[in-house]
Amino acid sequence: MKLWARIRSVLRNLFFKQQVEKQLDDEVRAYVDLVTDERMTAGMPASEARRTAQLESGGVEQVKQAVRDHRAGVRLELFWQDVRFALRQLWQNPGFTLSAIAALALGIGANTAIFSVVNTVLLKPLTYPNADRMVDFPAQVSGLANSLHSIPEFHFFERQTSVFKEVVAYDNAGPGFNLTGGRPVQVHGIHVTQGYFRVYGAPFALGRGFTPLEDSPHGGNVVVLSYALWQSRFGGDPSIVGKSISLGNEPYTIVGVIGKNFVAEPQADLWLPFQFEPASTDQNLFFEVTGLLQPGVTVAQANAALVAASPEYHREFPNTDWRGLFSVGPLRDSIIGDARNSLLMMLGAVGLVLLISCANVANLLLVRATIRKREFAIRSALGAGRARIVRQLLTESVLLSLAGGILGMALGFVGVRALLAVSPAGLPRIGEDGSAIGLDWRVLGFTLAVSLLTGILFGLFPAFTASHTDLNSTLKESSNRSGTGFREGKARSLLVVSEISLALVLLICAALLIRTFIALHEVGPGFDPHNVLTMEMSLNGPRYQNTAGVAQLLRDGRNRLNTLPGVELAAAGFWLPIDVEDGTGFQIVGRPVKKEGYGSQYMSVTPGYLSLFKIPVLRGRDFTENDKTGAPNAVLINEALATKYWPNEDPIGQQIRDANEVGGVETIVGIFADFHNSGLGRPADPSIMVPIPQVTDSYNAAYANIQPLFWVVRTHGDPRRYVAAITEQLRIASAGFPVGHIRTMDEVMGRSTARQSFNMLLLTIFGAVALLLAAIGIYGLMAYSVAQRTQEMGIRMALGADRATIRKLVVWQGMRLALVGVVVGIAASFGLTRLLSTFLFGVKPWDPVVFVSAPIILTAIALLAVGLPAARASKVDPMKALRAE
Amino acid sequence: MSSKQTNLLQGTLDLLVLKSLGPGELHGLGISRRIEQITKGTFIVKPGSLFPALHRLEEAGWLSSYWGDSENNRRAKFYRLTRSGKGRLEEETEQWTRVALAMTNALKAT
Repeated sequence: MKLWARIRSVLRNLFFKQQVEKQLDDEVRAYVDLVTDERMTAGMPASEARRTAQLESGGVEQVKQAVRDHRAGVRLELFWQDVRFALRQLWQNPGFTLSAIAALALGIGANTAIFSVVNTVLLKPLTYPNADRMVDFPAQVSGLANSLHSIPEFHFFERQTSVFKEVVAYDNAGPGFNLTGGRPVQVHGIHVTQGYFRVYGAPFALGRGFTPLEDSPHGGNVVVLSYALWQSRFGGDPSIVGKSISLGNEPYTIVGVIGKNFVAEPQADLWLPFQFEPASTDQNLFFEVTGLLQPGVTVAQANAALVAASPEYHREFPNTDWRGLFSVGPLRDSIIGDARNSLLMMLGAVGLVLLISCANVANLLLVRATIRKREFAIRSALGAGRARIVRQLLTESVLLSLAGGILGMALGFVGVRALLAVSPAGLPRIGEDGSAIGLDWRVLGFTLAVSLLTGILFGLFPAFTASHTDLNSTLKESSNRSGTGFREGKARSLLVVSEISLALVLLICAALLIRTFIALHEVGPGFDPHNVLTMEMSLNGPRYQNTAGVAQLLRDGRNRLNTLPGVELAAAGFWLPIDVEDGTGFQIVGRPVKKEGYGSQYMSVTPGYLSLFKIPVLRGRDFTENDKTGAPNAVLINEALATKYWPNEDPIGQQIRDANEVGGVETIVGIFADFHNSGLGRPADPSIMVPIPQVTDSYNAAYANIQPLFWVVRTHGDPRRYVAAITEQLRIASAGFPVGHIRTMDEVMGRSTARQSFNMLLLTIFGAVALLLAAIGIYGLMAYSVAQRTQEMGIRMALGADRATIRKLVVWQGMRLALVGVVVGIAASFGLTRLLSTFLFGVKPWDPVVFVSAPIILTAIALLAVGLPAARASKVDPMKALRAE
Repeated sequence: MSSKQTNLLQGTLDLLVLKSLGPGELHGLGISRRIEQITKGTFIVKPGSLFPALHRLEEAGWLSSYWGDSENNRRAKFYRLTRSGKGRLEEETEQWTRVALAMTNALKAT
């Protein structure tokens, strides 16, 4: 086909349309005239000749339309025509348009919101240049997950050069540092090995990272600053490299500043070199390890190499068999952690909300299609084919869904930020209160795709129904009030039933999560978190590298705090009583040595810790001030540990020692009640508590180097009122150390259930939206049906039906649908809630309370939605209704 | 419409239209009648398919049209083959013959 001829035709068809149309009309008419002439010549009467000619040619308008449909550029033109017509249609029915867009915006907005979180957390690649080759080293200590490692293990990993290009170590939380000089603040600093910046691909704004020499013992005091700290504390001083800052009263030389966009994992204000002893045999596990695989080496190959090499390590270091076989996993997976499941659950839930929105809009469109029946009939009489009408209707629905999508995107985007600000979800990778959640091509593409898909999904159904109209009967009908045909009625009922059942599924899920949330708050953590202030202090400096120095600080600090007015009791420990992450193995004296030791959590605390948190001592005694350095070593165990390892004996008086038999024998002096030391949703893990003055120097030093000390103070009334006095006394006791992360224990507890409350909040919102949409759906159906049947109601009344009968009739008609929906919804929920079971606590997936109450709520709402149209129906004036026709 | 009347294959109509205009110009009804005649009544082309085909072929540059008077002095639009239309007719004829021959042989084969 010649290009030029084609372009000319397109241009002519578009710009000289009237002329083209006129000629077409003339041409087709001429054809009919010619046929008529032929017939008349053959002897047919004139009128008969014209009629048969017209009949045979199939109608002038239809022929013209057939030509138009084949014209060059016709698609473009038709598309414009459709869009213009659709816009006009939507503009003329603002009520319909607004309600459809609102329903769509809710559905699409919820989906955009959740997807933007999913995108940030699950889909976006890590920002590190070699992210796909980065692995971490998960480990299991006596069944407790723990990814910490020891120096010899780190060196062992380093030696596996066939699979690892480089291996680096870093603190998982870090002890924090007291940045002195001026107003002292506690800053978040973590120790790293010198390869850290290289492996993580950290850009430098100024200076450089650590040299191997600086990262070896006695390598000097050097530090790398984060961009944020450089800006906030040093005003972005361009000549800062080489200058000195004071950490815990010791001078450190700044060697570099990290670039602005580096996402540190874990988050840090500054970095210091670990300075590992190369020949260290220290088996303490106190840091995390990340490896960079050699190019081309897969995670599976690295794992195979590590498994093969593990026995070699166990031979070199006796008593390390309990560490088992080493392994690696993708770094990304461990950063995302268990957030994946809860996000996928949310994605499923918003998908249901969107389906309900679609059903709702489809229903609205069906109503309109019925009202527009005559319009479609006229259009097909004028030659519009079925495809043409379907295309027209689809254009309308896609325009609607795009409008809904744009609004929904704004809604979802603002919504998710607001939500995360209110309820910090405890999700990884989302930044401070979700600040990392942003728009990118994935979110835009997702919203666009969802909008188009929903437009087609809810548009197609009504479009096909509408294009199926019987031309003759529709045109013959005197008005459009003749009622809903059987087909459409059935389709609309089906939509309402599915809306109700989907809404019920969401409602049941939301109710289960609400019950979980309540259950979590009802369990009680096993201790009393109210009126307790918690603070972190970084034990920097040589004074705290031995037990005596730490014990002295604790004694002094507690004495000062305990005399403060308003303070009931003060204590300290290296963990708060929830989410204890230190695992240890121990041996029981008098029993055969167990290879990996008996597994337990491990906490070192001061006397008073248990009574401060009101954790009862069930048998034996609590620690006292007499359990000091040099006195016989005392330990406390929890009930879970007692029943696990001494099921038939009295553990009090029994002796235990470290799994590797370093340090002295410790005697069990008491058993304390279990508390939820691994998070509220989990039962208590076996736990050992030791007095800080009696732990070994190396243990204390290790703790001081990897995490801060927690001060805890129980006050009379609101602990916030005493912050100034308490921090001042601690500053004096520690000779100038600040405290950071000042939070009440209630706040700490809130954080620990942040994920559950986020899940609950979101699903409750989805459930409420679903309920609203379903109510609107059933109301719309019944209101329309009542309006259509006014005449019928009038006849019924004229024949003797009273108002109550009419009301019952309508209510029953609507509620029948609602009840079918409820039954289907309950059945579907039975199948689906099992998928929720990992998110539930203290409630079964088939909790009878939920499965009874949610349907009742839904039914009540449906009754309300049906009640209004029913009341209207019963107020029909039979005389008016009958005359109206 | 008699059930014996064969449905036109896609593309066949174009060839028939081109063929009917081979000897000279005709108006719409003339083309319709010519096709009926040369196919001995097998194909009766209705205006609903004839006019779209004519306009399509004209847009493709194979036909040109002008307004003239019919045999009984009615204004009508006449169509004739352009030069490229003549080429197209030859091409299509050749191709059709090849296909028809192949089909006939194929259907005869046992």
